[in-house]
Amino acid sequence: MDPNPSPHPTDSQPEPPEKRLAALSLRSAHLPPDFAPAEIQEDDDDEGYLTAASRGGSSSCAAAAWKDEVDGLDDDKDVDVGPPSPSSSGYAGERGSSLASSAGVDDPQPQPDDWARDKKHLDEDDASASWRKRKKHFFILSNSGKPIYSRYGDEHKLAGFSATLQAIISFVENSGDHIKFVRAGKHQIVFLVKGPIYLVCISCTQESYEGLRGQLELMYGQMLLILTKSINKCFEKNPKFDMASLLGGTDAVFLSLIHAFSWNPATFLHAYTCIPLAQSTRKAASAVLQDVADSGVLFALLMCEHKVISLVGAQKETLHPDDIFLLSNFILSSESFRTSESFSPICIPRYNPMAFLYAYVHFFDENTYLTLLTSSANAFYDLKDSRSRIQNVLLKANVLDEVQKSLRESALRIEDLPADPSSRSVSPPPQFSEDVNSQLLSSEMAIGGPAGLWHFIYKSIYLDQYVSSEFPLVISNPKQQKRLYKAYKKMYASMHDKTIGPHKTQFRRDEDYVLFCWITQDFELYAAFNPLADKMQAIKICNRVCQWIRDLENEIFVYGESTLSW
Amino acid sequence: MGCSSSLPANNAGAVGNINNENSATDSKNLRVKLVLLGDSGVGKSCIVLRFVRGQFDPTSKVTVGASFLSQTLALEDSTTVKFEIWDTAGQERYAALAPLYYRGAGAAIVVYDITSPELFNKAQYWVKELQKHGSPDMIMALVGNKADLHDNRCVSSQDAKEYADRNSMFFIETSAKTADNINQLFEEIAKRLPRPAPS
Ligand SMILES: Nc1nc2c(ncn2[C@@H]2O[C@H](COP(=O)(O)OP(=O)(O)OP(=O)(O)O)[C@@H](O)[C@H]2O)c(=O)[nH]1
Ligand SMILES: [Mg+2]
Repeated sequence: MDPNPSPHPTDSQPEPPEKRLAALSLRSAHLPPDFAPAEIQEDDDDEGYLTAASRGGSSSCAAAAWKDEVDGLDDDKDVDVGPPSPSSSGYAGERGSSLASSAGVDDPQPQPDDWARDKKHLDEDDASASWRKRKKHFFILSNSGKPIYSRYGDEHKLAGFSATLQAIISFVENSGDHIKFVRAGKHQIVFLVKGPIYLVCISCTQESYEGLRGQLELMYGQMLLILTKSINKCFEKNPKFDMASLLGGTDAVFLSLIHAFSWNPATFLHAYTCIPLAQSTRKAASAVLQDVADSGVLFALLMCEHKVISLVGAQKETLHPDDIFLLSNFILSSESFRTSESFSPICIPRYNPMAFLYAYVHFFDENTYLTLLTSSANAFYDLKDSRSRIQNVLLKANVLDEVQKSLRESALRIEDLPADPSSRSVSPPPQFSEDVNSQLLSSEMAIGGPAGLWHFIYKSIYLDQYVSSEFPLVISNPKQQKRLYKAYKKMYASMHDKTIGPHKTQFRRDEDYVLFCWITQDFELYAAFNPLADKMQAIKICNRVCQWIRDLENEIFVYGESTLSW
Repeated sequence: MGCSSSLPANNAGAVGNINNENSATDSKNLRVKLVLLGDSGVGKSCIVLRFVRGQFDPTSKVTVGASFLSQTLALEDSTTVKFEIWDTAGQERYAALAPLYYRGAGAAIVVYDITSPELFNKAQYWVKELQKHGSPDMIMALVGNKADLHDNRCVSSQDAKEYADRNSMFFIETSAKTADNINQLFEEIAKRLPRPAPS
């Protein structure tokens, strides 16, 4: 299944003429220095380096091999490329193959919000050994081969490499076909073509094609949020248009986005999560937001970090969960929003990719912020007034304190899973005839929750919201957490695989976990148990989890707001 | 400092242009919308934060869109001036949005970095834009920031001052880092504000 549930058409068609000129300046004479990378210091440990041995793939070699086969290439063709060509000057060429810098592979556990320490490594380019050993590259380039963004290294120095990527993509496009991915040794190269803009991920993280393409879609969405799709106009006027400078100062935004791919379930579930709150508290917040929305604001969002406290749309307007994620990622990673109230043009890609809205953003405290979106460029002072009205209500109803309290205390802990296997509980999923020959766990062996439950994520399909449990001690460090998310992502991809699915349940055991996934019309449940967990027990526990969620739903979900995706 | 402004000293238009003006602006308590323009990284936000909060944070926080801050300044003649400040983003993609923020502004500060000749050119671009599209009685200041980095100076004070004089701006060099001339900058603007006739 398309990881991206919106039925919006893809962008390969010609753009309709835009009604509104996006406010983009095309004066390229004075390119502003991009100083954001200077403050970023450390590599993301988990995705830092490949081992020397796995440095197999080479895009230029992939390109060469692939050209030989191009006649047989169809839409879905997966090209396997042989051993790397030592003469290649591309992605995995042999030049400068010193391994000196591979020392930092195992940095001690960075905290989840340590993304800012991830370095862009401006000194690197495609000739650097360190650059070639990165586990996961992201590139954005134009269809004329001009670099727009690179996760690592200086875009300008990667012109040659970009041209190689462009050659691969254009070659296929010109023959009326689309390239989806190329496999080269352990590397997978995934392509996404969006009109004049090409997005490419080169990864040896063994994530699924669908998953990686979903990540590229989000990168494209993040770019639209900053520039709108009317950027395409610039390429119509000038195919050699240099877009990189228009993204100046946004490195932290993309860095945080890429980091979120490995820790934020919103990026693969396409759902958002709420901060648990007493119903009355949330009602107080929602009521005043609704008030404001009725007086000319399109969307009012109150969030704490990446969790929703309340959100309201004017009339029947809706915000797609991906847009909520991209918006909060943009705000949380642009530090200037925390300094003072701001008024800034922002495009909400699923709402209207062609035009800017204006966002009034104000942080009430370190992590709680209000965003008011309007289509009126002159609304700042009105929104500022609305904000102080909202602030008064929030203070009176003690909402901000409750939010802080919830942040500290109200996580779902698996140890708190009610013991009572309620008689009302839904019947367990059918067809579990296979008798798993596993040791029954004694209760003291069940580390974590009952029957070895370690963690779960529950997504309400109807609400487009998910909740996840607190990580137990056994999965307490970020590396373990990333690994679990990776396992969930894999599960997600296979559950939604169109060719062999859709599946209703899946039970998977490996050395790390027992994973159980269950999808119904109403929800998707992903649960991780300790690797020795018993299957029947696990299923029983999952029923209890679902019942538990239903008992808590008024506190852990936002209801009554118009947030359904279209 | 260059105080050779030839701006009309008596014009009530600018101050009254603030959107949503609702509190009384009497002859003792002025209020003015002020906008900062200039390329990314010249130090606009640092200047504002130095003035409003007395702080200097050397880590860059690239402004998005524009930030709004206000600060009231008491002058020696016992008048007060409330600055409503728009600290705009210097990134290229926001350039076309500048009118949104300078429209109706009574004062504008165009900032460059004394260590970069290109940024001085960019400042001249903003001056021209304001002359063309800003309100005619806007008080304009040309500010050479990062004066503490005089060892790396690339733009001479003399050149900048001459340019400012030719364009009826006043000129001052500041350092947000050392706080040098920051208050003077805003006081100078405050002094030049048109005083509404006492009624
Ligand atoms: N030495 C020195 N550095 C300064 C001074 N003012 C600002 N800086 C540095 O210049 C950098 C950019 O300053 P900002 O105030 O963020 O620049 P800006 O003009 O607001 O940039 P945008 O928001 O992108 O338009 C920061 O890293 C500051 O540390 C100064 O007076 N002296
Ligand atoms: Mg700034």
